[in-house]
Amino acid sequence: MRAVWTLLKKELKVTFVTPLAYVFLGVFLFLAGLFFYMGIVMTGEASLRVMMGNLAISLLFVLPMLTMRHFAEEQKAGTFELLMTSPISPVALILGKWLSSMVMCSLMLIGTLVFPIVLEVYGDPDWGIIFTSYIGLFLVCGAFTAAGLFASSLTNDQVAAGMGGIVLLLPFWLIGNADALVGDGLQDWLDKLALLPHLRGFTRGVVDSADVAYFVAFAFVFLFLTYRTLESRRWR
Amino acid sequence: MIEVQGITKRYGPFVAVKDLSFSVGEGRVLGFIGPNGAGKTSTMRVLTGFLPASEGSAKIAGFDVFEKPMEVKKRVGYLPETPPLYQELSVGDYLQFVAELRGITGAESLKRIGEVMERVGLRGWERRILGSLSKGYRQRVGLAQALIHQPPVLILDEPTSGLDPAQMVGVRKLISDLRQDHTVVLSTHILREVEALCDDVVVINKGELAAKGTLDEVRLAHAPVRYRIGLPGVDLDKAANAVGALDQVAQVRLVDGGLEVSSPEDPRVAIAATVVNAGWALQSLERLAPSLEDAFLSLVGAEGELL
Repeated sequence: MRAVWTLLKKELKVTFVTPLAYVFLGVFLFLAGLFFYMGIVMTGEASLRVMMGNLAISLLFVLPMLTMRHFAEEQKAGTFELLMTSPISPVALILGKWLSSMVMCSLMLIGTLVFPIVLEVYGDPDWGIIFTSYIGLFLVCGAFTAAGLFASSLTNDQVAAGMGGIVLLLPFWLIGNADALVGDGLQDWLDKLALLPHLRGFTRGVVDSADVAYFVAFAFVFLFLTYRTLESRRWR
Repeated sequence: MIEVQGITKRYGPFVAVKDLSFSVGEGRVLGFIGPNGAGKTSTMRVLTGFLPASEGSAKIAGFDVFEKPMEVKKRVGYLPETPPLYQELSVGDYLQFVAELRGITGAESLKRIGEVMERVGLRGWERRILGSLSKGYRQRVGLAQALIHQPPVLILDEPTSGLDPAQMVGVRKLISDLRQDHTVVLSTHILREVEALCDDVVVINKGELAAKGTLDEVRLAHAPVRYRIGLPGVDLDKAANAVGALDQVAQVRLVDGGLEVSSPEDPRVAIAATVVNAGWALQSLERLAPSLEDAFLSLVGAEGELL
């Protein structure tokens, strides 16, 4: 698995020598600050509940933009030919790219730690809930970047890959609010598939293994689909 | 070293390569030539394991490219048509990355990077950003990338395209140095390059094999044989008419100080008789060495475009 490390290093180098990484961190922290402020003003509580829920939804739009370049750009620049003619497995390639996105996500989340610190200074937040909320958000990042990576493997056009990632994720958000359309019975089922109901527990301080399994399975399915896409090139 | 058996490559209904077979012996340099769109790049992509063949098989160093792709990839250095560079990285970081992809690490990788940079003339360029390099230097980095793991087989897709004449000479010299320890397949439009570098030639046209063999075999078999007649101080139009009327002569062309004729059978005796009978001075009458360009043009026809 040394190849994974090699690819991870390369991805981070490419990300951090361009303005891309800094723009992402900046935009994400700006949004987080906005949601934090809104949450305090709306609820008057020393909690991150509002910020976490809103951040999860904004990640749905932000993360496909982070992952869109991964395979699309390699294909366009011809470097994909270098990777595919090197003695590395597609699995290592996918893991290297996915882990590099997760490193970026971790940095984004670490940046938001300033907000619970502010809460601690001016109030009395529940650190247990804050901790589980971050676990939840981290799992969301894993799931979204996996879906974004899959979208990127389908095309050599970055914009199409970014939009594709968003379109892929949107239904998982929307079906969580479909009760007016489909009635409560079906909604109970849709909630099992939808994203936000699985995040709810984490923002209340509960780590349910079913919720963890949901996000892990979500990421795994899309990473597996990415693998199949790359592998199918061999048979085309 | 390289065995290609009846390879066909289709993209949907379009057939890019059709039933192509050839082989390359160890330490040989094969020139792979054909007009644009003849299927050169597709064939090379099949050989490197980047694309699967629709039919047929290829073996490199005894390993089937489809069944044992990892073994093949370890043994092949590949320079695609556009050098596969990450614009954002420096030359040193990029070569470090490629070395690690190839499983070369630590002190060994530093040594290899130094060697290949020296070899392709990039010494002192470690810190330059790839995106800022000129075409010639990008090509050199592409070559360095293909050489870093000392592969027994090198596959170079148009290694000199887009270079200025001085750089072309440099790259050609590099390739002829490489022949000592590598088997090389290179594609090109430049036939002089093939004549200068290659032992063997494969000509393809519209995806099909047009000719293969050693350089001399292809030249002799496919170039129309031409003769040059030196006629100083003679009215060349008149002479051309007289010589052109001979049965053995297929075509006559006026050249500086004489005529050039092409002919399937040796017309020298008949020409000499005609010239002497007309009372002209016959300075020389020689058979010209067949050129690859003639062979190429006769193989791919007028549709073949050349650079």
